[in-house]
This record gives sequence, C-alpha cells and structure tokens, in this order.
Amino acid sequence: MFKASIFTSVALALGLASAPAALAGEYPDQPVTIIVPSKAGGSTDRTARLFTELAEKNYEGFEFVIQNVPGSGGQKGFEAIARADADGYTIGLNFTPQLVAHIVSGRAQYTLDSFHVMGNVAQDPGIVVVPADSPIKNMADLAAASGLTVAVNGIGSDDFLAAKQFESIAGVTFNLLPTKGSTEQKAAILGGHVDAAFMNLSQMIKQHKAGDARIIAMLTEERDANLPDMPTALEQGYDVQMRATRGFVAPAGIPDEIQSQLDSMLAEIMASDEFKANAAKGNIFLLPMSGPDYLAYLTDLQAQTQAVYDQAPW
Amino acid sequence: MEYLAIVFSPWALLTIFIGAFAGVAIGGMPGLTATMAVGLLVPFTYTMDPAMGLMLLGGIYAGAMYGGSIPAILLNTPGTPAAVATAIEGYPMSRAGRAPLALKTSVIASFAGGTFSVFILLLFAPFLARQALAFGPAETFLLALMGLAGIISIADEKSSLLKALIAGVLGMIIAIIGTDDMSGSLRYTMGLVELYDGIDFMPALIGLFSMIQMLELAGQKSHQIDTSALKKKQKGEKLPRGIGKYMGLGAGTGTLIGILPGEGATIAAFISYNLSKRISKTKELFGKGNPEGIAAAEAGNNGCVGGSLVPTITLGIPGNSVAAALMGAFIIHGMIPGPDLFTEYADRTYPFIISLFVANGVFLAVGLFFAPYLARIALVPPAIMVPVVAAFAVLGSYALNNSVFDIYLMIAFALGGLVLKKLGYSLEALILGLILGPIAEGGFSQGMIIGKGSPWIFFDSNIAKVMWVIILALLVPPLYSYWKHVHKAGKAAG
Repeated sequence: MFKASIFTSVALALGLASAPAALAGEYPDQPVTIIVPSKAGGSTDRTARLFTELAEKNYEGFEFVIQNVPGSGGQKGFEAIARADADGYTIGLNFTPQLVAHIVSGRAQYTLDSFHVMGNVAQDPGIVVVPADSPIKNMADLAAASGLTVAVNGIGSDDFLAAKQFESIAGVTFNLLPTKGSTEQKAAILGGHVDAAFMNLSQMIKQHKAGDARIIAMLTEERDANLPDMPTALEQGYDVQMRATRGFVAPAGIPDEIQSQLDSMLAEIMASDEFKANAAKGNIFLLPMSGPDYLAYLTDLQAQTQAVYDQAPW
Repeated sequence: MEYLAIVFSPWALLTIFIGAFAGVAIGGMPGLTATMAVGLLVPFTYTMDPAMGLMLLGGIYAGAMYGGSIPAILLNTPGTPAAVATAIEGYPMSRAGRAPLALKTSVIASFAGGTFSVFILLLFAPFLARQALAFGPAETFLLALMGLAGIISIADEKSSLLKALIAGVLGMIIAIIGTDDMSGSLRYTMGLVELYDGIDFMPALIGLFSMIQMLELAGQKSHQIDTSALKKKQKGEKLPRGIGKYMGLGAGTGTLIGILPGEGATIAAFISYNLSKRISKTKELFGKGNPEGIAAAEAGNNGCVGGSLVPTITLGIPGNSVAAALMGAFIIHGMIPGPDLFTEYADRTYPFIISLFVANGVFLAVGLFFAPYLARIALVPPAIMVPVVAAFAVLGSYALNNSVFDIYLMIAFALGGLVLKKLGYSLEALILGLILGPIAEGGFSQGMIIGKGSPWIFFDSNIAKVMWVIILALLVPPLYSYWKHVHKAGKAAG
C-alpha cells in the first residue's frame, strides 16, 4: 500500500496525463473502507453489512472493510467520512436527523457539501408509545392530558424533534426526560416510570405485539406496512412526521467514473430480492432513495431542524 | 434434552472451549476487555451458524469476566474495572507469595458466581426481568450511591479518609467533562470532538493501574517478591474455611445487580466487596490481602454475566455494555429479544444458556490447571514485563474506540495518577468516582425530572427505602470507627 501510494504520488507529480485513467481502469485495486459512525451490531452497522455481503458476492474485485467510529451522536464518524481522501476507497454511512442536527447546532466541521450523497437504504419510522396499562389511548388523549413526563432519546435526536413538533402543534408542554440511548427509554416505558415516549418502530414493535407496551401513533405520512392497523398521527389530526434514515455518503470530490460505479452498485443491490429478504430477516425497514432524492430530503430536513433549533436551541 | 444434545456435540463443545479460553486470555491482558472482544467478534458471527456464534460470544463473556482477575492479582493491573476490588486484596497476597491461593480463590468464586447466575437466568428470567422494571432512575441513583460508599471502605483502615474522598470527588469532577445529557450542552470539552462523549473510563483505568504499575516496577532497584514462599506453598494453601459464605454473598449480589437494567459488574464487585468487609470477622485484614474480599468481588462480577442477560433476552434491555454487544449478535440472526426467543427460537436460546454452564466449567478447569504456572508471571523480570504490558496498555487504549486521542488520555492519567499516588491519594477511589459519577448524575437528574422537581422520589418506593437502609449500614459503622480513631489520636496528642 505504501509503495502504491508512492507510485501514485510520483506519477501525479510528473503530471502523467494517463495516470487518472489508469487508476480508474484499475479500480478497485484495494479494499474499500466503509466508515460506520456507530458501534458494531447496531442497526446502522447491520445496514452496512447487509450491503457488503452482497456487494462482495456479486461484484468481482470488490472487497470491503467496515470501520466502526462510534461516538458523539455519529459526529466522529461523519467528520471522518468528510475528511477522508476522495479516491473511492473510503465511503461511509450517515444517519438522520443527527447528520443535519450537528450542522444546525454549529458543532459540525462538515456541511452537506462535504459529502456526495449516494442514496438512502433504510428507515425507522417515528412512533409514540405508552405503557401497556396507560389511560392514554391515542394522540388526542396525549394532547389533552397535562404535565406528562415524556422520554426522548437525548437532546437534538429525532425523538426530541418530533416531541417538540407535537408540543407546538398541540399547544402542550411536556415534562421532557432525555435518556441516554433507546434502552433507557424502553426500560422507562416498560417499567411505567414515564407517561409516554417518542421512539422508533424497530425498538418497540416486538414489545407492542407482545402486549408489554402500546404504540398509539405512527409518525409517518402513510401507515406502515409493518404495523398496518396503526393509524398515523396525521390521521389523528396532528401533522407530526419523523423518521430516522440511514444511507450511504462519500466524501465529495471522488472522480466521476468511480463514483458512478459505486452509486449504481448501491442502487442495483438495493433492488435485488436477496437484499430485501435479508433486510426483513434482520428487522431493517427499507426505504430506497436515489442520491439526488436523498440529497433533497437531507436539505429539506436541515431547514426543518433549523426552524426547531431557532425556537428552542440546545 | 435435544438442547443438551446441541451443546454437547463436538463442534459446539470446541466452540465454547475456544470462546471461554480466548475470553480468559483477553480478560487477562491489561487493556483488553470483554466489551471490546465481543464487539470485535460480533461481525464474525454474521456468517456463523446462529447457535454456534452465540455460544462463542457467551464463552468469551464468561471467560473474560474471570480473566480480568488474573493480572489484578499478579500485577495490580486489573484487566477490567470490575476487577479493581480484586486487586485491592489480590495484589498484597501476591506480594506475600500467596498468589496461588489468591488465584484459586478467584477462579472458584468466579465459577460459583457465574454458575449461580446462569441457573437464575435459565429458571426465572422472564419473571425477574419484570420485577427489575420497577427499578427506575431514582433507584439507579441510590445504587450508584451504594457503590460510591465503597470509597469509605477503601480508606478506613489506612485512616486517610479525607484523601480517599478527595480522590473520589476528583474522579467525579473529571467525569463532568462531555455532553450534559439533560440539556445537550457541552461541558469543558475545549472544542475537542473527542471529548463530546466524556472521558472513557478504560483509558483511565489502564493509565491509573497498568501504566503506573509498570512505571513503578521500572523504577524499583530490585524485584521484591518473596519467591521462597511461592515455591514452598506451590503445592497449595487450602481455601480458608467459611469462604463459601462470601462467595454466596457475592453471587447473590452480583446476579441481582446484573439483572437491573443498565448497571454493571463494577458496581456489583464493589458492593459485594464492601458488604463482605462489613460482615467479616477479620476486617483488619482487608486491604492487606484477604481472600474473603477476592471471593466476594469475583463472585459478584461473574454473577453479573447471567444476571445481565436476564433483561437482555427477555425484554431487549441489555444489563451492561457487553450484553448490549451480545444483543446485536442476537438481532443479526433475526432473534429479536422478547417472548419469541423462548418459543420460536428456543432451539438457539436454550443451548446458548446451557453453553454458559459449560463455559464456566471451562474457565474453572483452565484456571485451576494454570494457576501454579500463572503465579510465576509475577516473577517475570521487569525488563520484559514493563515493555510488554506498556505495549498492551497503548494497544488497549486505542482499540476500544479506534481513537489515538485515548492513548494520550491514558498517558495523561498515568502521569497525573502517579503524582496522586505518591501523595497518598487512592486511585481506586478516583476510578470509582469516574465510573459511578455519571451513573449517579444521570439517575439523579432523571429522577428529579420524573419527580417534577421533588426529591421525595428518592424515598418513595419500597426498593428505595431498603436501599437507604443498606447505604446507611455501609456508611455509619466505618465513619464511627474513624471518628473514634481520630478522637483517640487527638487525646493522645493532647
């Protein structure tokens, strides 16, 4: 690798016109690193591995190395992707709304322009959930009760943003309980320590089906196929929408021919039946979006998050 | 029966053996931990048979929890924070040439604690998990207080209570650095992204114990371990009588604390250690090498293994960070924690639980067999020991979060800690403050929010009331004896 990089830099220094073409022709001549901004075994990590499993099997010459860079709500990993050499040998995963929330709160050294957005893979719809024996049956009850303690997974998270949206629409003020991770939220709901929680579907769907907790609304524009009987908040008269998304990004500036090779590989894999089957088995909800669509989504989300931040900064 | 057949097939046994053996080795290296090992291996199980993969990880978890005690006893370099209490008793024993007994106590206690907790997991998991849910943030705060009471216990014989308390507070102050979870604001991060999540306690542990120990070893003129005693007693000092009581105490405490959501082996070990000291007839020997303390602490931290899996597999609420990594492995194979694990996936879940018994047996055999040889590690000359352990210290600090920053952090802790240690401040108290401070803070602020600003929530439930009684029982007697001591000293001086 060291030798190769010396060769490359010498070649570039000499200004050999053929060098970029030769490089592109050889691509990939080494494993591609995928930066996952969370721990091994988490949902983002599993999304990445679903992809690499099929990519290595179906695309000759491609090898992937997953590098977990957890911490700071993904910020460490996002920064690492943005800083990586734009040579096509490092790409990464992002997740929302944290990617844009760090920009909005002024903590990120990157902007959306630091990335080439490759496409979205998965999503996790927002939900509102209450303890199994709670008198709160729907969103109207939630809006009518006063002084409720509501758990959200940390300040600036998707849960937090959704709770803030609901507060301003319904004109209520929650006693907000920020937790460290969804595990604490789950324990608080199952133990009846809080009145409600804003969470994500994958975290509570089993508990809901087992009768240990009760989901009262989906925070999506339409009902979700995984829980088709569950009405959305919108149906119940409250336009609160939130979802976590997990997609692929690359550092901006990768040569076009390499980038388009990676982009189309992602799109093809997401379209395959095998990928869909594996995702269903791994409790990952798919939401394929092309690069341009996902970039539009992210830009939009950043504007929305900015609006919440301007009202109540954290 | 068919579950037993799965576990006792040759391949499964080999897998469990490899897992438990590797676990002991990983736990035994200063700087490498079970969390890291399971985290690193989870990806490998993607392609393995689900039951085999889980057995491998379970073996590592059980083995590593025991393995942490080996360097704690021999070198005063606890491999995991849960083994700090073991080091307090084990290292003095080692220096007195009683390492074989200390190692034997630790492995038998670990086996007792581990096996007891797996029995509980096998028989009562769903029932206990529901009971544990009553344990909320307010009770978490009290549990952290109970663990912090251990600071008094570390100090009272040396009568340096004030310095131990100062060290504990210093640990808590260091723990303030990072993001405030309640408001999202940053505290003392100096604009460094690396500090947003606060100071990880692993680099601190490695710096404060492994690195300092190596610095001190390097600074010694001669290697001063009583080798004659080691040779003479090689054939074996018998376990002291009545030590089973302390193992039982540790096993029960550890399993109980393991079941509580989000608590860890460190608290379990310290509370078990502290309790054993309170009921011991030979209190004065604590801190100078008392096998009773090792028995309680090791049974306590291994009790957490089975305990932590109770809420993990029944409710999807992992009992600690290793259990969280293990849960990832379950989910990879489509086994979402919940009732399904005991019906639809019973042919994987039950073999996994049963395999933990085997893993406990493996490390017991390994520990007993190797104890006499391991004890000789303490005799390795510093010229070899220091560079090897120092290299592992750097590697371990880096590998936890793939972070070079953590290496500098480890070195900073080693240098700062060395000064504190020379001045007589207890590093055990400091690490306890650093680990438990954030748990106490989280429990306190969440409790206050749930209680809508009223501190009554900390006295409200029956669990809370019982916990206050235990906290007082842990705090009052040592404070009284300290007061008497100071009073007497004052009179003598006057």
